[in-house]
Amino acid sequence: MLRELLSPKRESKVADVERPANFNVLVGKLSEVLVRAVDKPLGYAINWGRLWSLWPVHLETACCSLEFGAASGPRYDVERFGIIEAFGSLRQCDLMVIQGTVTRKMAPRVRMIYDQMPEPKYVIAMGACAITGGLYFDSYNVLPGIDGVIPVDVYVPGCPPRPETLIQGCILLQEKIKRTRFR
Amino acid sequence: MGVEMGRERIPGFELEGRDEDGMDRGILTLSVGPQHPGSGHFRLIVKVDGDMIVEALPDPGYVHRGEEKMCEYRNYIQNIPHLERPMIADSCGILYPYVLAVEEICNIAVPERAKYIRVIMAEINRCIFELYWLGIYGIFLGHSTMFMWPMADRELLIDLAEMASGARVTHAYFVPGGVRNDLPDAFPEKAKRHLLYFKNRLKEYKDIFYDNPLFQARTVGVGILSKEDAINLGATGPVLRASGVEHDIRKVEPYDVYDELDFEVITMKEGDSFARAYVPWLEMYESVEIALQALEKMPSGPVRTKLGPNPKGAVGEAFKRVEAARGELAYYLVSDGNPKPYRVKLSVPSFREIPVMAHLLKGAKLADMPSIYWSMNYWPVEADR
Repeated sequence: MLRELLSPKRESKVADVERPANFNVLVGKLSEVLVRAVDKPLGYAINWGRLWSLWPVHLETACCSLEFGAASGPRYDVERFGIIEAFGSLRQCDLMVIQGTVTRKMAPRVRMIYDQMPEPKYVIAMGACAITGGLYFDSYNVLPGIDGVIPVDVYVPGCPPRPETLIQGCILLQEKIKRTRFR
Repeated sequence: MGVEMGRERIPGFELEGRDEDGMDRGILTLSVGPQHPGSGHFRLIVKVDGDMIVEALPDPGYVHRGEEKMCEYRNYIQNIPHLERPMIADSCGILYPYVLAVEEICNIAVPERAKYIRVIMAEINRCIFELYWLGIYGIFLGHSTMFMWPMADRELLIDLAEMASGARVTHAYFVPGGVRNDLPDAFPEKAKRHLLYFKNRLKEYKDIFYDNPLFQARTVGVGILSKEDAINLGATGPVLRASGVEHDIRKVEPYDVYDELDFEVITMKEGDSFARAYVPWLEMYESVEIALQALEKMPSGPVRTKLGPNPKGAVGEAFKRVEAARGELAYYLVSDGNPKPYRVKLSVPSFREIPVMAHLLKGAKLADMPSIYWSMNYWPVEADR
């Protein structure tokens, strides 16, 4: 290791730093190191804030909305995991739960609603229909999964998923947000 | 007629004095949905003059999944799971007429015990549906407690249904020839305990919801549907009975064992949104009574007539209707002698409420739209099929 550092190749690199172009590269590297030192705790704090206040859009595409409603009810109470009931405006939301089948008529509207949401935004595909088309795989009016229309973060299987499964999907999403690098 | 920036001028629509107030004379066209704070993916194109709705044009079809076409390439048994998806809050109710129609076409006899079990499950599911409906009505009117209470009580009844069928909401419990499996031994005792608790709990609903001045202010006298209009527009279920028409398929055309059970048809004369919310509450009492009676009278014996893996229907057609939680639900089934049906037609109650809704919204205030819309018992998923 020591020999490697003292080898002629390495020495020539250090000598090159004195040239103005290479000096800028060194400053750039230093600033990156500095930004990372600040960035990591800051990013952690911001991700922490994001993951405990996920606001879902009130968008129901099919019958899975029933179990989404049950998950907001008193027995399952998704609010204790930091996911607020879906009553708010779409401009304040950062989570979209695709609750079941998306038809050809609904798909452009889903995309329009997704585009109107502010960044950062996350998507959970709930139910077999939102993942692959489910029971309606051979129907003429149903999309085979939502991931061709909008990017999906977490897939929650089931037909419909039990509220516990949906809550597990939300926790997985929170794990994902926790590891996201803040930009 | 010119359309500019969403404002549509309708010829012949003149209101005096508008210009002196500085208000623009004209009609504003609003698009409500398919994403809105209420429930469901349903679009209403509403034309408003100030605060009054001049015309409402419902735009359904956002969840059209082609159920009827799908029935044609699945056999009679394979059709069961996807046919209950349009209304999973009342999955026994929507499957009931299909099962009856297949039994008629395939000429299957049903054991007596299975008929009682079906009635019990159908009535439990009716309560599950009405509670969910009442909870969402609370969201529509901004009454959070009204969402939480029915949602909590609903879980007890879901426990019963889960105990019998194994699934929370999509039971697939009714099959042609009876029910899929017998009730567990502990079911009757647990069912009686839960139903009696639920019956006592219902009394509290009146105090906190129906006697609530805020709830009454939003619903009493709003969207009055007269008896004649209800009949002419084809209203069904609680909407029809809230307008004073005594019509219930369980009495008019009894199926399974409803003619052996004692219950009343609930009607009210007012026909407003409050009556349409009050009738389901009274009907839940009757449902509990029916379920308790059926539990008492239920005989022992087999619960299912075994069919082959691929039962064939006789050439012919069958039309069966039942009283689901939202109203009259009918299936028309045509068979050409193959294991797969030739044609299946669903006549769902939700779709029949669309003209009623358009009629009631005309002349109402824009702020009354949620209470009228939800009192119609309209379920987009079911209406679009």
